Amino acid sequence: MASPSRPPLDPARLSVKEAKGFSHLRQLLLAPEQTELERLKNRLDHYILEPSDVGRVLPDAIRLRAQQDSRLLSSMIPITQEALSLSIKQSPQLISDSIAPILGPAIRKAITRAMRGMVQSLNQTLEYSMSWKGLQWRWEAFRTGKSFAEVLLLHTLRFRVEQVFLIHKKTGILLNHVVADGISGQGEEVISGMLTAIQDFVRDSFGQKQEDGLESLRIGDLTVWIDQGSGAILAGVIRGDPPMELRDVFQEALETIHAQFSELLQSFHGDTTVFQEARLPLEDCLQAQFEKKSKGISWVVWVLLGALIVGIGLWAYQAYSEQQRWRQLLERVEQEPGLVITGVQEEGVPAIVNGLRDPLAINPEQILSDLDYSSQQVVFRLKPFMDLTPEFVRARAMIQLRPPSTVVLGGEGRTLTLSGEASHAWIEQTRLLGPIIPGVSHIEMKQLVDTDVKQFETVKASLERKILAFGVGESDLREDQESVLMDIARTIQALDHSAWTLHMTARIHILGFSSPDGTNEVNANLRGRRAQTVQRELETGPLQAVSLMAEGSSPEVSPAVFSQDSPVPQGRHVVFRVVETPSRLSQNRQ
Amino acid sequence: MIQKKVCMLGGFSVGKTSLVKRFVTGQFSDKYHTTIGVKIDQKSMCVNDTELLLVLWDVYGEDDFQKVRASYLQGSAGYLLVIDGTRKETLEVARQLHAMAMQSMGPVPYALVINKHDLRESWQVDPEMYEDLASNACLVLQSSAKTGECVELAFAELAKQLLKV
Repeated sequence: MASPSRPPLDPARLSVKEAKGFSHLRQLLLAPEQTELERLKNRLDHYILEPSDVGRVLPDAIRLRAQQDSRLLSSMIPITQEALSLSIKQSPQLISDSIAPILGPAIRKAITRAMRGMVQSLNQTLEYSMSWKGLQWRWEAFRTGKSFAEVLLLHTLRFRVEQVFLIHKKTGILLNHVVADGISGQGEEVISGMLTAIQDFVRDSFGQKQEDGLESLRIGDLTVWIDQGSGAILAGVIRGDPPMELRDVFQEALETIHAQFSELLQSFHGDTTVFQEARLPLEDCLQAQFEKKSKGISWVVWVLLGALIVGIGLWAYQAYSEQQRWRQLLERVEQEPGLVITGVQEEGVPAIVNGLRDPLAINPEQILSDLDYSSQQVVFRLKPFMDLTPEFVRARAMIQLRPPSTVVLGGEGRTLTLSGEASHAWIEQTRLLGPIIPGVSHIEMKQLVDTDVKQFETVKASLERKILAFGVGESDLREDQESVLMDIARTIQALDHSAWTLHMTARIHILGFSSPDGTNEVNANLRGRRAQTVQRELETGPLQAVSLMAEGSSPEVSPAVFSQDSPVPQGRHVVFRVVETPSRLSQNRQ
Repeated sequence: MIQKKVCMLGGFSVGKTSLVKRFVTGQFSDKYHTTIGVKIDQKSMCVNDTELLLVLWDVYGEDDFQKVRASYLQGSAGYLLVIDGTRKETLEVARQLHAMAMQSMGPVPYALVINKHDLRESWQVDPEMYEDLASNACLVLQSSAKTGECVELAFAELAKQLLKV
């Protein structure tokens, strides 16, 4: 018999005493669970997400979400781009340092490849464009309608990787594709698919394993090398006969790509943009090799190089010669008296020489002509000036004074020294003009002989040596003295002319003498008459600058006309003594 | 750019190559060419602002003499299962190819296309006959490569489905 079931205990219907007991009983039975529940309730009510909690799950959370779809990546793109942009603005050096190890080798490699290709192409083009073989190929190009470069390539190429395909192994979709310079890719996605299909066909047909595959295809001059990876296939289209070493290059590139894109290859869903960075290892596969590579640089290049060196040498020599000629011109102008260079403008044509020129200096056009310069090459812009060097002062004096050939000009500083012989008129003119010549303050004429004065003195001395003899007690001229008288008359005329030239006057004393015989009175009378006779005879012609004065010699007149060196002659004759008129002579000499 | 591999599956002479040609070049030719092996074409299109390149593998039509190789189907993101409406025997071939595709590709989107709708009066198939194939297809269309009817639509709708995956 089943015992009747007891109704469930309702705490609301319990008395106070029963409620206390019930609460005590519940505490005794459920205390640990109650405490734990309260702790959990408190934690949930006051839940704060700790960074350490997020940090523990964040990497896995991101990875799992990214595997699910691309929404997380899409939402992170703008944040990442903005963060990168801000980072570049704030610390460009950091970004630069970070990407330098990647960009540096890539840039170097690209430049090396481009330079190598350019030199090789230039070398070949030069070599073959001027040879007999080159002419044959030109004819072939003309005949077949191909370009010369194409024909050249066909004949000299050992091999050249023209295209490289990176194909997703499972789908046959083209992930990336590079082509060599001058090659145009076309329908590469279709080619990629067909290559995959052919591989599948061959593999199925011959019962090979999945990891096996077609390694190479050959179509005419083209070879397709295919390298299998776990996730991708690398196919290179090669013209010519590639060396086996190229396989290593392909495999190395494929390994690099697998190392870099392993996860992307496994999770590939058609987005090929993520494989853009695979371009660099693919470009490493774009290699080429031409025949006669070991031959080195073409002889044509050497000839051109030689011609270039000779050309540069000639140019350098010409430039050096031109420089020397120019320097020679400037030195010549500098050395030339009366020319001063104040500035030179060498740039441009014509070159311009600025400076000063004394009117007496050489014409600079003459210097240009001497050094084979034309006025189109060099232009002188010279302002006039006075050169005060002694040389130019003398030259200027020569022009202004016009000295006779018997005069020599010299001097130091501002003194002009004249020596030699010159006419009285020229000396007088020089005395006036000399001080106004630029650069001359004093004229020294001590060494200069006045030829007119000299002539005067000569004639004077000649006259004073003349003697007219008389007979005993006679005051008339003897017949034999007629010729002497004529000679004396001519001398007096010459003396008159000379004095006239010197702008001076002179008096000719005609002195009569007698023998001591006879009385003094008679002798004195006789001396006077003899002098007067001669004066009369001589006054027949006109005299302009001299006058005649007859007088018997006497102790009174002697001191005026005789010096101590010429004692008064004794005897029956007449002599002449010339006395310059002091006033006029001295006046002229001032 | 997103690229997707799409296979054309169906019996011989159901019009797979004509459908591809109509879709890619907009042309049609009455002259029949048997496809040997596989022929690959491509067509780029824009689906919901996403640039998509369809790589179309026009696999040869299966018959008693040549069986489609499963390796051609690997990696395909979807396929067009083509039936010739004028020949009911192409239904069975389609079923076999569909089974092969399921095994090789897994559950990928596919469009069931009953071709040659321009010859409607000569049709030998009814919807009830291909109900099993249509049940899992993302799209069922009656098309005509000759007139271009529903050809563009078939590829466009399949492309949308491919991007959803």
